[in-house]
Amino acid sequence: MEKILAKKSFPQWVKKLDSWRVYIPRKDEEGRWNYFEADGGEVSLDVLQTTLPPKKILFPQREVFLEFAKTLAGNRETLEIKEVLPEVKPTVIIGARPCEARAAWMLDEVFGGEFKDVYYWKRRDQTTLVGFACTTPPSENCFCTSVEGSPHSEEGLDLLLTDLGDRYYVQSMTAKGEKLISAAKALFEEPKPEAKKQVKAAHAESEKKIRRQLKDARPIAQKLKGMFDSPLWDEESMSCLRCGICTYLCPSCHCFDIGDEVESPSPLKGQRVRTWDTCQFPDFTMHSSGHNPRPDKASRLRQRLLHKFQYFIQVYDKFMCVGCGRCITLCPVGIDIIKVLDKVRDHGA
Amino acid sequence: MAKIEDLKEEAKKLLREGKVKYIIGYGAGSNGWLAAPLFIKKPEDVDKLVWDPTCVHNLVRFLVDEKRRKARQKQPDKRPVGIMVKGCDSRAVVVLLQEKFIDRSDVYILGVSCEKMGVVDDAKLAKKLAGKKAKRVEVDAQDRFVVTTEDGKIEMAAEELLAERCLECKANFPVIYDLLSGEKTKRPLDKPFGSLEKIESLSAADRSSFWKEQLDRCIRCYACRSACPMCYCDECVVDSINLAVTADTTADEKAQRIHWIQRSAESSENLVYHLVRAIHLAGRCIDCGECERACPLDIPLRFLNKKLEKEAKELFGYEVGFDPALPALISCFRDEDPQDFIR
Repeated sequence: MEKILAKKSFPQWVKKLDSWRVYIPRKDEEGRWNYFEADGGEVSLDVLQTTLPPKKILFPQREVFLEFAKTLAGNRETLEIKEVLPEVKPTVIIGARPCEARAAWMLDEVFGGEFKDVYYWKRRDQTTLVGFACTTPPSENCFCTSVEGSPHSEEGLDLLLTDLGDRYYVQSMTAKGEKLISAAKALFEEPKPEAKKQVKAAHAESEKKIRRQLKDARPIAQKLKGMFDSPLWDEESMSCLRCGICTYLCPSCHCFDIGDEVESPSPLKGQRVRTWDTCQFPDFTMHSSGHNPRPDKASRLRQRLLHKFQYFIQVYDKFMCVGCGRCITLCPVGIDIIKVLDKVRDHGA
Repeated sequence: MAKIEDLKEEAKKLLREGKVKYIIGYGAGSNGWLAAPLFIKKPEDVDKLVWDPTCVHNLVRFLVDEKRRKARQKQPDKRPVGIMVKGCDSRAVVVLLQEKFIDRSDVYILGVSCEKMGVVDDAKLAKKLAGKKAKRVEVDAQDRFVVTTEDGKIEMAAEELLAERCLECKANFPVIYDLLSGEKTKRPLDKPFGSLEKIESLSAADRSSFWKEQLDRCIRCYACRSACPMCYCDECVVDSINLAVTADTTADEKAQRIHWIQRSAESSENLVYHLVRAIHLAGRCIDCGECERACPLDIPLRFLNKKLEKEAKELFGYEVGFDPALPALISCFRDEDPQDFIR
C-alpha cells in the first residue's frame, strides 16, 4: 500500500496512535539525540542520528527472566521460582532509520530461528517499525550502501516514510503497517503518479549522498578467514581503550550475560536477569578456571570484526554491520572500522 | 601552541638509536577534525606526528597497557617508551611515578607546551556547529580558533571552544619531561574551581536529583574507567569475575564472592559505580577530562572529580601531580593534617 501524508498532518497522525506506545527520536535540552516516548509532546522527523539505536526498545539492557524466593514455614524451607514475562503494550518506533530496521531484522534471526527467545519476541511481536528514509544522511560516518543496505531499505520495516518536501510518501510493507494508516485514514491520500516518480528519484539521490564507503566488503569477508593470526590486530588495537562503546551502541550487537541479582541473602530472594554484555570487556571470555582465551585487546578487536564480517555471514549470509557509523563517530580514540577493514583488504597486496 | 619540529628530530634520533621501544604520540584522525593516538616504531613515521588543539587525549593511559603487555612477555624489552605529554598529562605521569606503578626509566617524556592555548572541547564544538561537520580546527596568530566546515571557515575566540579543564588549567606546560617543545609561559588562573560554582550553589536535594538524572543515562560501557590513566587496577569491583580467579579457587569461593555492584544499569548500581570511581580518584585525578570526553552519553563526570580535587586542596593543601618525590595524598600523614574528624 502506498499513500501520501502531508507534513502538517504528521503530528495529528502520531496523536491518533494513542493505543500504541510511541517512540520517536528527539533532542533533549542539552542537544543529545535519543529515542523518547512521544507522550503527546512535539514530534518531528527533522532529526540526526541518535546516540543509542532503538535496539534498547526491543532488547533492553536489563531483562528479568525470573524471580526466586525462599520461604521458611516451620522447619520446611521452600524455594519458589516465578517466571517473569515482559508485559508489553503495542509499540511503534517512528523515525527508525532503515539501517536500524535492518539491524532489528538481524536480532530477529538471532533470537528466532531454532530456539525462540520468548522475552525478545514478547516485545518484538508487539512492535511496529516506521522507518524514515535518509534523504540526508543522519551522520557523516554513514556507510550503509557498502554493507548491502541502503538509505531507503525496507528490510525489517513495516512502513517507510520518505520526505518529499511538504509531504511524506508512505509505503506500507506489512499488515502491521497498514494498521497504523487505518488508525487515521482521513489524513492519508492516494499518491499521484508523479509522486511515485519523485520518491524514486529521492531514493536514487539519497544513495549518492552517503559520504563514506567500504570497498569490496564481500571479498574482505573472504579474506578475513585467513587472517586470524595476523599481526594487524595488534597494530590496530594499540589505541583501543577496551570500553564497550562500539558494541553497546551498535544496533546489531546483541551479546548478553545472565546473572542472579540477590536482593536478600537470608531469606534468599532475588531475580535472574539478562543484561547486555560485550566481547570488548576482558571478563567476557574469562573462564571459571581463570584462563582467558581472549586475553588482550588485539583478540577482542579481532572478535568484533570477525563476528560482524565473517561468522555472521557464514550462518546468515549477511554482514552483521548495517553501516550506521556509530562505532566510528563515538570511539574516544578514533578506531575506524572502515579503515581497519581497508587495511585487511590491502594486507599483503 | 608550541611548534614540534625540534621534537620530531629528537624523536627520529631516539628511534634510530634504539633508545626507545616506540613512541606514543598524536597523529591525524580519520574521523573528522580530531587527532588520534599514534604509535610510532620507525623513524620514518615520525613525520606523521601532529600537535594542535585537537590533541585532546591523555596518552598516559597507554602506559598502563604497556605495563600489562610487559607482564605477559617472558623476556620483555626493558627499553623506555617515548610518550608525548601536555602539561595535564605530565601530571598523570607524576602520579604513576608517585604510586610506583611505573619507574622513571620506563618512560622517555616528550613534553609539549600548550602555551596560551589548550585543547578543543568536542561537545562545545558540536553545539556551535549545530549539525555541521568540522573538517579542521586550527589556531591563528591571534590565538583564535579557526574551524573549517564544509560551508567555509568560522572564527571563534579561544574561550568559546577551549575545554573547561583548560580554562582551569594548573599546568599549561609539562611539569616533568626529558625534552620540551614550546615555552614555559605561566598564565593567570583566577578561579581554579570556577566550574563547580553552579553545582555547589544547589541545595543537597537539587544536587541529588541532578545526579540521579545524569547517572540514570549511564549504560555502563565503562568508557570513563577505560580512558582513565589512574584506573589501572587489575581487579575492578564492578567486573563480575575478574577478581583473581586461579586454578585453585574453589567453586564455593567463587560463588560466595560478594557482588558489590550488579551489572544492571539501574539508578542504584550506576550511582555506586560512579561514586566508587570518584572516591578512588580522590587525590589522584589530574583533571585531564578524558572520562567526560569519552562518555557517549555526556555525563558530566568531571564535576565529581573536580570536587574531590578541591576537597584535597582545601583540607590537606594537596595538589595532585606536581612532585614525584612527594608521597601520594592517601598514603601519607602530616601533623598539620586536619584531625577534627577523629573522635
